[in-house]
Parts: sequence; C-alpha cells; structure tokens
Amino acid sequence: MRPVRFAGTDREFGRILLHGAALLIVTLGLYRFWLNTDIRRYLWANTQIEGRPLEYSGTAIELLHGFLVAFTLIVPVYVVYFVAALNLSGYSRPLTFAAIATLVLLSQYGIYLARRYRMTRTVYRGLRFHQSGSAIHYSILASCWWSLTVLTLGLAYPYARAATERFKLRNTWYGDLPGRFDASAWPLFIRLVPMWLAVIIPALSTLLLLTPARWNALAVALRAPGEIVMRTSKVGSDFTDVGMPVILLGLITLTLAACLLPAFHAVVLRWRISAIRLDGIAAHSHLQTRDLYGAYLRFAGGALIWLVSVLVAAYAAFTLRDLVFDGAPSKMAEITQVVMVAGFFIVSAFGVTTLYRMFVRLAVWRHATNSLGLAGDTSVLLHVRMQGAAGSPLGEGIADMLNVGGL
Amino acid sequence: MTEIAPRSGPGAYFDGLTSALHEVTVELAPDGLVIRDAAGELIDRWPYMDLKSFNAPPQMLRIGLRNSDRLARLEIEDQDVADAIDLACPDIDRSGASERAERHRAIVWSFAAACSLVAVVVYGIPAVADRLVPVVPPIFEHRLSKTADERIRAAFDKGMAGRPFECGDGPGEAAGKAAFEKLVRVITAGADFHQPLRSVVLRRQEANAVTLPGHLYVLGGLIEQANNVDEVAGVIAHELGHLANRDGVRALLKGGGLSLVLGSLLGDFVGGSAVIFASETLLKLSYSRQREAEADYYAVRTMQALKADPRAFATFMERAAGSGTRRSIFMGHPPMPDRVARINAIAPPQSGGATLLDADEWKALKGICAGYR
Repeated sequence: MRPVRFAGTDREFGRILLHGAALLIVTLGLYRFWLNTDIRRYLWANTQIEGRPLEYSGTAIELLHGFLVAFTLIVPVYVVYFVAALNLSGYSRPLTFAAIATLVLLSQYGIYLARRYRMTRTVYRGLRFHQSGSAIHYSILASCWWSLTVLTLGLAYPYARAATERFKLRNTWYGDLPGRFDASAWPLFIRLVPMWLAVIIPALSTLLLLTPARWNALAVALRAPGEIVMRTSKVGSDFTDVGMPVILLGLITLTLAACLLPAFHAVVLRWRISAIRLDGIAAHSHLQTRDLYGAYLRFAGGALIWLVSVLVAAYAAFTLRDLVFDGAPSKMAEITQVVMVAGFFIVSAFGVTTLYRMFVRLAVWRHATNSLGLAGDTSVLLHVRMQGAAGSPLGEGIADMLNVGGL
Repeated sequence: MTEIAPRSGPGAYFDGLTSALHEVTVELAPDGLVIRDAAGELIDRWPYMDLKSFNAPPQMLRIGLRNSDRLARLEIEDQDVADAIDLACPDIDRSGASERAERHRAIVWSFAAACSLVAVVVYGIPAVADRLVPVVPPIFEHRLSKTADERIRAAFDKGMAGRPFECGDGPGEAAGKAAFEKLVRVITAGADFHQPLRSVVLRRQEANAVTLPGHLYVLGGLIEQANNVDEVAGVIAHELGHLANRDGVRALLKGGGLSLVLGSLLGDFVGGSAVIFASETLLKLSYSRQREAEADYYAVRTMQALKADPRAFATFMERAAGSGTRRSIFMGHPPMPDRVARINAIAPPQSGGATLLDADEWKALKGICAGYR
C-alpha cells in the first residue's frame, strides 16, 4: 500500500464547491471562511499517511476572528497609502514607498503565521504539527528574496524558493520530530532556465520594440477624430511598423507561458516535495508532469465551455431585457443593465474559480499525495511525543485581506 | 423488559501524548464510553456529555473530549458502534443536521452583514465624507489642482503653432480679457466667493467650463455660442458653486472611501471586483447628479443676488446640448430637460434687470478669442 494516499471523491468535492459558490454570491463573499474550512476538512480527512487519516481541527469562526483583527490592523496602512498616492506633500513619495513596503512585509508575515495556523490545526495520530520560528524574521527574509526575484526578472526564483522553504521546514515539527529542507537551488535553476528563456526572450523583444515609439504623440493622435489605423499611421511609421510584430510577439509570449505553466508547476512541486525531511524520514515525489498537463487542460476546456455558455445566456438575457423595456430608456432599464453586466461577470468569474479549484487544485493535491513516497525509518512515526501549542488565526486574516491566501 | 446488552466494538485510540496507536475495545456504558486496551485493562472513561466529533473520512467516527489540551482521539470504523455513540451523545450528529442548522445561522448572519455593508456604503460613506470635507485643509486641494492644471493643459492644448493657448493674450484680445476678468470679479462678489481663483479662457471650440480648486477654465466655444452675458455668467456661477461646495474633495473622499471599504471587506471573492465596479459606477453617478443640482442652486442664488436673469444659463445649456440628448443615468449631469425644468422651477424670471457688462464690454468679450480666426 502507498505510504501516502488520497481517497477523496470528485463528487464530494464538487458538491462542496458548488454549494459554496452559491452561498458566496448570497453573502457577498463572507461565506468564504466556511467554504475554506470545508475544503480543508475534505482534503485533510481524505489524506492518509501510513494508513491513518489526517484531521483538520480548525473552524470557520477562528478564520473570521483572524480576518476581523487583521482588518483593523491593515485598514490604516491602506488609508496612508491612499492619502500618500494623492501626491499632496513633499513626503508623498517616501510615504507611498513606506506603505507599499509595509504591505509587502505584512503579506509575508501573514503567510508565515497562516502556515503556523494550518500546521497546528493539522492533527495526525492525536498529535499536532507545529511551527516555531519568528514570523518577523521570515517576513524580512522572504520580502528581500522576492524583491530580488522581481529585480532579476525571475532568475532568482529557485534561490528565493530554497531560502524560504528551508526557513519554513527548519521550523516545522510533528510532535517532537523536527523537519528539514534538503535540497539546493541549483538543480531547480538548471531545470527552469530553458523555460525562463523561452518566455523572457519574446517578452523582452516585445518591450524593446515598443520603447523607441513616441507614446505621447500616439496619445494625442488617438484623441483626434478619424479612423484608428489612419490616425496611428499619421503619427509616424513607428507604430504601424511595430504594430504587427508587437502583437505577434506578445501573443507568442502569452502562449508559451501558458503552455509551460503546468511543466513549471510540476518541476517546482517535485523538487519541493522531494526535499522534505522529518527526522529520519525522507519524502520523495514521483509526480508525473503529464498528470499536471491533464489537469490544466481539463480546466482550460471546462473554462472555455463555461464562458461560452455564460455568453450565450447573457445574450439571451439582454435580448429579453430589451424586449421588456421596449427600447424606452428609463432609470430601471439602466439599473437592470448595470446589475446584469455585473451579475454575468460575477457568475463567469465564479465558474472559472470553481473549475480551477476542481480540476487543478484538487487534481494537484491528489497526484502529489498519491505519488509521495516515504523512505527511511517510518516507524518513528509510531513513537512521536506531543509538543507545541495552537497558533492564532491572525495570519490567515492578514493573508485573506492582502489576497495572498493559499487554500 | 429486556436488557439490551451494552454495545461494544473495536476502535483505534490515540492518547494525545504520543503518536502510538492502541487497539482498544470501546464499550457503551450508561453514562459514557469505557475504553479498554487489548488486555482488558481500563485506559479511560469518556462521559457522553464531554464527547465531540472531529473531522474524519466518510466512514469513520473520530471522537475526542472537548476542552482538553490533549488531542486524545478514538477512531471507530464499526458502524453499529458509531451509530450507538451518535444516539448516546447530544453533541454528536452523524447525519450532520445540527451542523447544517448552525451553518444556516452563520449564513443568515453573513447575509445580514452583507446587507448592512451595502447600507453603510450607500448611506454611510457619503455622510462621513460630507462630515470630513470641512476638515480637509484647502492646501490639499491646491496641491491636487496644481497637478491637475498641468494635465488639463496637456489635454486641451493642441499646441497650434504660435498661438497662445489662453484667449486674451493674442492680438486685439486684451479688451476681451479685461471684460472677462471684470465679469468674474462681479460674479465672485455677488456670490460672496472668497477662494483664490485664477480664471482663463482657453482657445477651444467646445461650449463648456471646468473648475479645479483655484482655477476656472472657460472654453472659447461657451462665449461664442452665448447670446447674452447672463448666459455666460450663469455657467460661471455654476462652476463657482462646485468650488464653493468643495466637490472635488468630496468626490475624492467618497470614491476613496468606497474603494477602501468594499475592497477590504470583499477579500478574495473573485466577483468582488465586479461588485466594486458596478457599485462605484452607480453610486458615483448618483452622488455627482446631486452635486450638479447643488451647483445649479448656487448659480440661481448668485444670479438673483446680482439681479441678473437666473434662467439664462438653463436656456443656454438646453440650446448647446441640442435636442438629441440621451436620457441616461450614466451621464454625470442629470438629463438636460430635467435639469432645465428644475432650474426654472426654483428660479423666478428676472426681476432685476442688471447688466453685468455694458454693450462695449460684451462686444469685447465676444472677441476674446478672435485674434486668430
């Protein structure tokens, strides 16, 4: 029998998601704390390690509390950012920078604390996992590494990932068993460089083609009356010459990025999982890249069908609305129009997120757990001693507010 | 009455101190569970009142004690025993009915919270913004308007070679400029308007006027298409109304407050951006129609104070807008016929008979942009 396996059915998960999506709409998103708790309960309880299932002991109320506290902490930062962005005083530039830096640091702080919450709410054989370490240290470490990643256009990513995972796993415990991250960034870097080149070259070429063009003149030309291509060509051959190549290159960049995404995901996940150590036990991942391609393709197909259906329904609805209001403009007609547009947008967005969770998130979880092997003396798992206390849900609240949440 | 033998069955027990698994026998005694190990030794007794069920895979019942710092767990896969425990414990409900009831309460409260959020957004934000407007020091507005001034000029100035962008600076336009400045002085005096103001006429054909804190821009087309000085004066007075009411700051506070509240509370909710966009659009437009109405009242009061014709600018706008105005709530202004009707309702026909500019000054004003034809 596989040491780690996932036994959950698609049907059960689908039910949770659909039910959740409907309630999210009704409660303007406030139901998300219950939905996320349900999703985690499903995933944890259906995951077995050495034959015994995990347990998620967190509750939705805890997540709600975490959110409320985080809200009161973060709103002042947003207010400062907003006021600073108005460029009202000589201090505005440093203030904006300070506000952004605070938000970045807060995000990483929230991520670390949220992980602690999730760890301590994971119970296995009557003992909880826990996470030590200072969230502030992590937030500084992670913020520096991710900034470096952005500055190097992504080249530093393997190193950033290695550094952050190492910190996290060094501070992860199951009872009194310590965790470790045993991998270096270099093998990942080697594997990712071809993908990076394949995307960065067309992306940079697109940008390079665009720089010599005169943006200001184009903006003025677009405001004048007349046909758009004629107007653009009047500005100068700059734009018409580069127009087609730019669009083409842009499309190539996007297509390549989309095609490589599943491979990227698989490579990083395999590397990350195969580095996890718990005392004498080593994890290794046999995750197949093709399984991830299957998942993403299923999602893409589903999303396409969904969006087409929504468009057809929208067309029917708008035609109906025109018939009802009989072309006579009125306040009611306008309001219905806005509400309908917003409604269709919300419905399509929800469908896409639900499909993503169903076809990608669940599939990745299933494939990753089912392909997880454990080497070393797994019998230590039978004699672990209790350690650690429960963490607060504040991190979850921060992560929710700053939109850096995970599951 | 037959005694039903107490149920018992196998279970897996974890004591919460180590991860060791104990194969146990679970017996349902009258007041609780009796847990015995494989040798029959008593491990623990768990009263039914203290039992709680925890997250587990579908066919397993996983129970533990509430309010315990040890995470001791008993995992039962025998369905008969599980059902018996379910019956015996008030807090364990394998059918999920009580959990569903609790969930429904949570949903109802969330829905109520969402509704009150909407109420706050629709009524609360404008109220708070209105309170805060007097508190914002004028220096902020002037900072804002300086940036905006540069942008307006960049947007409007076609940069036609050799022509000064402001009317009144070209050949033969000086008299017009003097007339215009006199007109503005008269109006600001009549309106009791004391904010520092720089007023210019821009060399454009559109019939419009725009204000920013400290700046008044009248577009050349307005003067060209006006039939008399009262029409121009009324439009200028309307624009001064926006400045007097500090509508720029007001809009900023309302818009900003809206984004802040909705953006923070809706969180990760993917459709949230659609909700935010839709509500911002609808609310901004209803706010601005109100502000336009206020500016219209200000104009009427000013024109009455000056003993000029308060209805003139309504007539002008009606003419300038043409007959094909789409009635739409998406226009920042109320639809023209409504607006004209409202103005005519509050403004009595001219009682004064004042002339804000004499015939020569009016002629000069008309020629303010005539330097380059």
